[in-house]
Amino acid sequence: MRHTRTRSFPVLMLTLAFFAGIIYFIVNLVINSSVWVSKPYNGHLSDSSGLEYAGKIIDRNGIILAKSEDGKRIYNEDEITRCACLHVVGDDSVNISTAVQTLYRSELSAYDFSFGLGIPNEMKEGKDIHITIDSNVQRAAYEALGDRKGACVVYNYKTGEIICLVSTPSYDPMDIPKDLDTNDVYEGAYINRAVSASYPPGSTFKLVTAAAALENDPELEHLEYDCTGSTKIGDKDINCFEISGHIDMKDAIKTSCNAYFAELAILLGRDKMTAQAERMGFNKSWKFDGIETITNTYNVSSANDNNFAWSGVGQYTVLESPINMAIRSSAIANDGVPVIPKLIQSIDKTFSGSLAPVPERSEANRMMSSETAEKLKEMMDYTVKNYYGNDNFSDELDVCAKTGTAEVSDDGLSHGWVTGFTKDEDCPLAFAVVVEHGNSGFYAAVPVASAALTAAAASLR
Amino acid sequence: MNELMDMISFGIRLGEPLLAAVIIIMCFVSLRGGRRSEQALIVLEDRTNDTNYPVIYWENSIGRSASSDIKINDPTVSRDHAVLLRRSNGWFITDTGSKAGVYVNGDKTDGRYPVAIGDVITCGTTELVMRRASDIEGAVPRREIKMFPQEIILSLITFYISLLTVQSSINLQNTDCVILAASFIGVMWLFYSVSKLGLKRMNFELESLVMFLSGTGIILAASHNVKQGYVQLIAAVLGMILYSLILWFIEIPDRVMKWNIIISILALLMLGSTLVIGRSLHGAKNWIILGPVSIQPSEFAKIAYIFVGASTLDVLQTKKSLAAFIAVSAASVGLLVLMSDFGTAVIFFVTFLIISFMRSGDIKTVFLALTAAVLGAMTMLSVKPYIAERFAAWGHVWEYANDSGYQQVRSLIYSASGGLFGVGLSKGYLQYLFASENDLVFCLMCEELGCIIAVLCAVTIGGLMLYARGVTTRSRSTFYSIAACSAGGLLVFQSALNIFGVVDLLPLTGVTLPFVSYGGSSMMSCWGLLAFIKAADERTYFRHIPKRLEKQNKDYVEI
Repeated sequence: MRHTRTRSFPVLMLTLAFFAGIIYFIVNLVINSSVWVSKPYNGHLSDSSGLEYAGKIIDRNGIILAKSEDGKRIYNEDEITRCACLHVVGDDSVNISTAVQTLYRSELSAYDFSFGLGIPNEMKEGKDIHITIDSNVQRAAYEALGDRKGACVVYNYKTGEIICLVSTPSYDPMDIPKDLDTNDVYEGAYINRAVSASYPPGSTFKLVTAAAALENDPELEHLEYDCTGSTKIGDKDINCFEISGHIDMKDAIKTSCNAYFAELAILLGRDKMTAQAERMGFNKSWKFDGIETITNTYNVSSANDNNFAWSGVGQYTVLESPINMAIRSSAIANDGVPVIPKLIQSIDKTFSGSLAPVPERSEANRMMSSETAEKLKEMMDYTVKNYYGNDNFSDELDVCAKTGTAEVSDDGLSHGWVTGFTKDEDCPLAFAVVVEHGNSGFYAAVPVASAALTAAAASLR
Repeated sequence: MNELMDMISFGIRLGEPLLAAVIIIMCFVSLRGGRRSEQALIVLEDRTNDTNYPVIYWENSIGRSASSDIKINDPTVSRDHAVLLRRSNGWFITDTGSKAGVYVNGDKTDGRYPVAIGDVITCGTTELVMRRASDIEGAVPRREIKMFPQEIILSLITFYISLLTVQSSINLQNTDCVILAASFIGVMWLFYSVSKLGLKRMNFELESLVMFLSGTGIILAASHNVKQGYVQLIAAVLGMILYSLILWFIEIPDRVMKWNIIISILALLMLGSTLVIGRSLHGAKNWIILGPVSIQPSEFAKIAYIFVGASTLDVLQTKKSLAAFIAVSAASVGLLVLMSDFGTAVIFFVTFLIISFMRSGDIKTVFLALTAAVLGAMTMLSVKPYIAERFAAWGHVWEYANDSGYQQVRSLIYSASGGLFGVGLSKGYLQYLFASENDLVFCLMCEELGCIIAVLCAVTIGGLMLYARGVTTRSRSTFYSIAACSAGGLLVFQSALNIFGVVDLLPLTGVTLPFVSYGGSSMMSCWGLLAFIKAADERTYFRHIPKRLEKQNKDYVEI
């Protein structure tokens, strides 16, 4: 019979494996439970479930953007503020996947691992979430965007705090339009375009091409070129908006010469262009505070020479999100090192008083050398001073910027872009604005950036 | 008023896991404490060299090989010479194909031959005299038995079920469950009375553990659909009857061995008839519908299969070939695959590996079988590639959240929502999913009763297996040890498929969680399998030391 016992060893191993599996499940549950609970499929927390006794959402000035009273969720009393903050705060549903009320619903509804969602309502004590946005800046950007679709990101490139994260079209979470899902006016209203949409970046991408050149050979700064309004690369022409004449890189940025940067891309080659684009956030996405942004794409592996040349000016199949554009501008402002944005200031219990310490700034990998960053900064500064006019951005802030007007593949008007940063020590802001089919970066996007920057300066100073 | 009720329900939820933990700990401690100590039952005295061989087990192999229970260093003794067995009517020796033969008091033995105290057993040149252990070693103090009174454990289970019922009634604001729970508690106490007073069995821990599992399952099912609760209860009662019948049938293992072929044929007939007249429900053709009742014959085939696999030690040593068993196994697995019941097919296969290894200790057979299975599975996948799609979501269910990973993703979300103490019976959302009360029942428990109770249920099933293994050498026959380990291993493996299937550690195969999942056939067959574990406990048949035999054979040795 001893034999029989010895031979039962595999069964013992099976049982131990079973216990190990149970332990693995428990560990997994402990680690991931708050993430799992926050998934949009959770019946306990979808629609208004879970928000009846949830904590408040409060902006950087202490303005309450959402709170619960008597089992109902109430948003800010001002309709425009509600619309402007919708994509950050969220609504009762979990349709806006990157909103605080979607991602942090378990925290707001006092979820903890021990009691799950099983605490009786009377005992629930939802946590308040303080977010870094400024509802006044949100309003300014929202009103500047008006009824156009687009997005505006403004964040502090020293601390990472997002001051403004607006996406349009929006709607009022306290009076949800009946035709939300059918009316074209609200197309994509559930999407926060600042983080979850990507567009061809157009001429704003010339900063990436310039960075690729300067990183490989700083002397390329002095590369001179005679622009005739177009150049033939491969089998087709690359056209410019204007004839720039005899230019170096600084002037090519200023006049946004397509031919210059197309030739520069060809000079550098696919590998160097791809490498620099990937350093600057392409072919990856960003993660911060539970938000996972859309992946930016730069893929020229199957591009012919003409296509590849177009990629150097942000056309072809290049796609970028507004948040990535703001992040790479922060790198130029920060001597080459980008700061990762953040939205959550602190999460705390309603009655425990003390705020959790403000999280440290977090940096991502260096995108370029500080010399390259310095040169790009000069070029953007030069462009604003000599071409766009600083007062078109702000009367008070010292702005460096680059616009873009990106052609779209369908017949619609081009998308308008602008990205850049302020040089002011007390108001260090990186920004990006896109206006879908705005036709011009300068005429469509710059005024939105200007409105947001002016409001932000008033708020921060 | 509602708020007060909410608070009461919450309070009960906090108390239940503690109570469940106490019940389970008491049962296992009591099971362990009640085991016989491994002392010599009798002693074989070797007259040629004055060695004493203590005989510890009910079935002992005698031979020259190192792994023999009684190892004799004598070149004239064969490697597996004989088997010395204890039966309720005395001791026997069986020659298992030795070269020199076995002689008792000078008579050559053939087949099973009775031996008594003072008899001389001759194997080769070795002469062994059978002695009372107390004559050689002096009276050994009997080990103290530390058992909890079974009534206390049952009272705690009664209290636990009552708490579940109160909670369910508060949450549902009706009293549908009360009669059901009362009936279940009544059945439990009745079964205990029969076991204690009628059959004179002293321990009831195994049944208590299963009562805890079944009770949890019944109230859980009833909280979502009271009719299901009653179906479960009826199945549990039928299960208890089946359990008692099997325990009666296997009381004399030598008798069971004679039924082997008939049971094999029965098992194959059950599976075969399902294939012919069975109906297909939810993808697998494994149902036979008889009027209002639908049954899953494959569940009962599991029991038959264990019958076929287990064997007494003398038969094991005489008939070493696994061919017949392999043939039955291959046919069973094949039939199940044809029914597209892959979960049960895998369970059968694993049980086959357990049994064949326990019988032969032959690792080659296991490897061969595994190789055959892998080849078979690969052929299957190349012929019917759509089967692979079923398992496509395995390992990354979050990417398939709205198609093939739908159930797993919800299960994980709702498990996390339940926390340690659950959101309350009937308050969950997982109940609205297809098959939530059987395939997803582990996570349903996590959500509504909390992960402590869910994990305790899993631990109970694992514990049954550890217990079955713990008594292998204390059983009255290798038949019981092999059957108990196989039945336990089957239950554990099935639980693993069920639990790890929903939490995405294994592919989702849709098998039930023993005793807890909703499903009549499954409930009954699990009770049937429990009988094998119960039978492995030496005390189960303790009452059957017939007075009449004791008088006939005065040399019968007490434990």
